[in-house]
Amino acid sequence: MRVLFIEDDLETANYIVDGLRRSGHVADHAADGQDGLLRGLSGRYEIIIVDRMLPTLDGLRIVKTLRSAGVDAPVLFLTALAEIDDRVEGLEGGADDYLTKPFAFSELMARISVLARRPRITTIETILRVADLEMDLIARRVKRGGAVIDLQPREFQLLEYLMRNAGRVVTRTMLLEKVWEFNFDPKTKIVECQMSRLRAKLAKDGQPELIHTIRGFGYVIKPPS
Amino acid sequence: MLSNLLPRLMRTASFGLAVLYAAVLAGSVIIIGVIVYWALESSLERQMTARIDAEIQLLKEELRAEGDSELIEEIQRRNNVLGLEYLLRDAKGTSIAGTMPVLSPASGWSTAELPINRSGAGAQRTLRIHSVELDNGMRLSVADDYGSIEDMRRAWIEATGWCLIAFLLLSVAGGLLLSRGFLRRVDTIRITAESIISGDLESRVPLHGTNDNFDRLSLTLNQMLDRIQTLMEGVRHMSNHIAHALRTPLGRLQQKLEAARKTALGNPSYEAALENIQQETEGILSTFSALLRISKIEAGARQSGFSKVDLSTLLTTVCDAYSAAAEERGKILGADIAPSLWTRGDKELLTEAMANLFDNAIKHTPERAHINVSLYRDRSNIVASVADNGLGVPPEARDLIFERFYRLDRSVNTEGTGLGLAFVAAVAGLHGSKLSAFDNSPGLRIELRFDVAKPPNMLPTAPLRAYEADRVRYSHPVPTS
Repeated sequence: MRVLFIEDDLETANYIVDGLRRSGHVADHAADGQDGLLRGLSGRYEIIIVDRMLPTLDGLRIVKTLRSAGVDAPVLFLTALAEIDDRVEGLEGGADDYLTKPFAFSELMARISVLARRPRITTIETILRVADLEMDLIARRVKRGGAVIDLQPREFQLLEYLMRNAGRVVTRTMLLEKVWEFNFDPKTKIVECQMSRLRAKLAKDGQPELIHTIRGFGYVIKPPS
Repeated sequence: MLSNLLPRLMRTASFGLAVLYAAVLAGSVIIIGVIVYWALESSLERQMTARIDAEIQLLKEELRAEGDSELIEEIQRRNNVLGLEYLLRDAKGTSIAGTMPVLSPASGWSTAELPINRSGAGAQRTLRIHSVELDNGMRLSVADDYGSIEDMRRAWIEATGWCLIAFLLLSVAGGLLLSRGFLRRVDTIRITAESIISGDLESRVPLHGTNDNFDRLSLTLNQMLDRIQTLMEGVRHMSNHIAHALRTPLGRLQQKLEAARKTALGNPSYEAALENIQQETEGILSTFSALLRISKIEAGARQSGFSKVDLSTLLTTVCDAYSAAAEERGKILGADIAPSLWTRGDKELLTEAMANLFDNAIKHTPERAHINVSLYRDRSNIVASVADNGLGVPPEARDLIFERFYRLDRSVNTEGTGLGLAFVAAVAGLHGSKLSAFDNSPGLRIELRFDVAKPPNMLPTAPLRAYEADRVRYSHPVPTS
C-alpha cells in the first residue's frame, strides 16, 4: 500500500515511516504542509496521514483542499491536542478517522488497515460470516453452527464491528469510538467486560474461540486455526 | 411588559437623579411662590388702607365744604358703588347713613368678621374698618372687604398648585424617558458582557457614533475586551503549545519504548519492566491531557458547540456501557431514568462527565455495593444523580472531592488520575449546572442539577428580551438544597 505521511516532527516521522516500510508498505514522508499537499494532490497514495499542526499549511486546510480537488483516498487526521473541537473539525473537513498524539504504532497500523479496506463503492452487505458464525444484518440475528445466539443490542454492535473488520486487529480505543461512541478513555474496563460476555455467548457450547485477544492492544475475530 | 419595565426604569441612576432634580426645582418654585405671595398680599393691603384713608379724607372735605346734609347724600350715593361700605352715626351712636353691617365699630382701625348670609350660617367675610370722628361730632366709618385679597390668594394658590403638578409630571416623564435611553444603552453593555461570560469572546458593545459619554465608555470597554481576547487567545495558544511541546517528546518516548519492547522479546523481566515504564508514561500523558482539558473547559470556550442533548438517552447509554463492568466488579447497578428530558449542552462532554461519575462510584465502593442512577425533573430543574451505599464521604470533604488531585484515602486507592470529579465539576460549570455531593446515609450521592428555565448559551440578543430574561430569572429562583 502507498502511504503518505505528512508530519513536521522528523523523529516521529522516521519512526513511523520506518515501521510502515518494515510492514511492507510504500511510505513517503512530507515535512511541511505545502510539500504534503502537492504530494497528496498527485493521487498516487492509497492512504494519507496528516498532522494537525504543520508549518506553511495546517492539516485541516490540506484535508479540505485534497477533498475539494477530488482526492478520495482515506485520510487519517493526527491531532496533538486531544480536543473534541479539533476532531470534529477534522472529520467535517473530510478526514475519515483521527488519532490523538501521542499514539502507539500498533494503534496507527490497526487504523490504517481498517481504513484501507474501506470499499470505494459501498457494497451493501446483509450477511457477515466468520467460520460457522453468521450475522444477519437485516433480521438482526446471529447464529453459530445454526443455533441462534441471543445478543444484547450493544453486544450485537460490538460483534458487527468485529465481523466487518474480520481478520484485522481492532484496538480498544477503536471499539470505544465506533461501538460506544465514547471519544474518551473510561477508567473502568467496559470493553473488556462486554467482550468477555460476548465471548461466553459465542462459545456457549464449548466451540473454539473466534475472538482473539492481542494482549495490551486489541482484538481480532478470525476462524480458528 | 410595561409592568416589568417600569420598576427597572425607576431603579436607574438617571431616574433617581431626575427625581432629585425635580424635588429641588419644586422646592424652589414653592419658595418663590411664598415670597411673591407675601409681597403681593402686603401691597394689596397697603392699597386697601390707602383707599379707605382717601375716601375718609374725601368725605371730610365734603363735610367741610358742603355741610351735613350733603355728606349724608354723598355717602348714600357712594354706598356700594365703589365696593366700599359706609356708616355714619351721630354722637349718640344712632345710624344716620350707610349700610355697613357692623353697628358700632371701635374708633381707629379694626377688623370684623361677618357672616355672608343674614342667617349667620356658612362662610364669613372679613372687613377692614376705619372709624374717625368728624368735625361736627358725627362718627364716620369706611370699610373694605378682604374678599378681593382672599380671591387673589385663592387664584394664586390654584395657579401655583397647577404649575407644580404640571412641573412634577413633566419631570417624572422626562426622567423616565431619560432612564429608558440610559437603560437601553446599559443593557447593550450588559448583554455584551453576558455573552462574553458565556464564552463568546468575539462580542463587542455596539457604538452609536455620537461620541457621547456612553460611546466613549463603550469604546474603552471594547478596547478592554480586545485586550482580554488577546490574552485569552494567548493562554489558549500557550496551553496548545505546552500540549504540543510536551506531548511530542513524551510520544517519542512511548515510541522508543514500543520499539524497545519488540527487541526485548524473549527476555521476560526486561519486557515486563518496559511494559511498566510504558504504562507509567501513558499515565503521565493522560494526567497531562486531562489537566489541559479541564482548564480549557473552564475557560468556557466550548459553549459555542452546544446543542440540544437528550439526557435520558445519554444516561441510559452510559448506564448500559457500565452495566457489565459493574457486575463484574460485584456492584449492583440500578437505574431510574425518566424519559425525554432535554437540556442544551455539549453531548460528548456530558457523556464523559456522567461516565466519570460511574467510574467513581464503581471504583470507590466495596463489593456488593448498590449503585443507583436516576434522572428526574424537579420543578424547573433536571436532576441527574449517581448514588451508592458505600463508605460515603465525610461532610467536610464533600466539596473537596471536586478539587483537582484530591484523594479521600491516599494510602489505599491509587487508581485513576485524581481528576475525574474535577472534570465533572468543570463540565457542570460550563453548563451552568450545580454539582453537589450529599450524604446518602449510608454512602455518597452526587447530583448534577440543570436549570432548564435558565439554559446556558440562550442569551437574549435585544434589550427587550433582556427584560424577559430578567423576569424568568426572578420568578424561578434556583432552589438551594
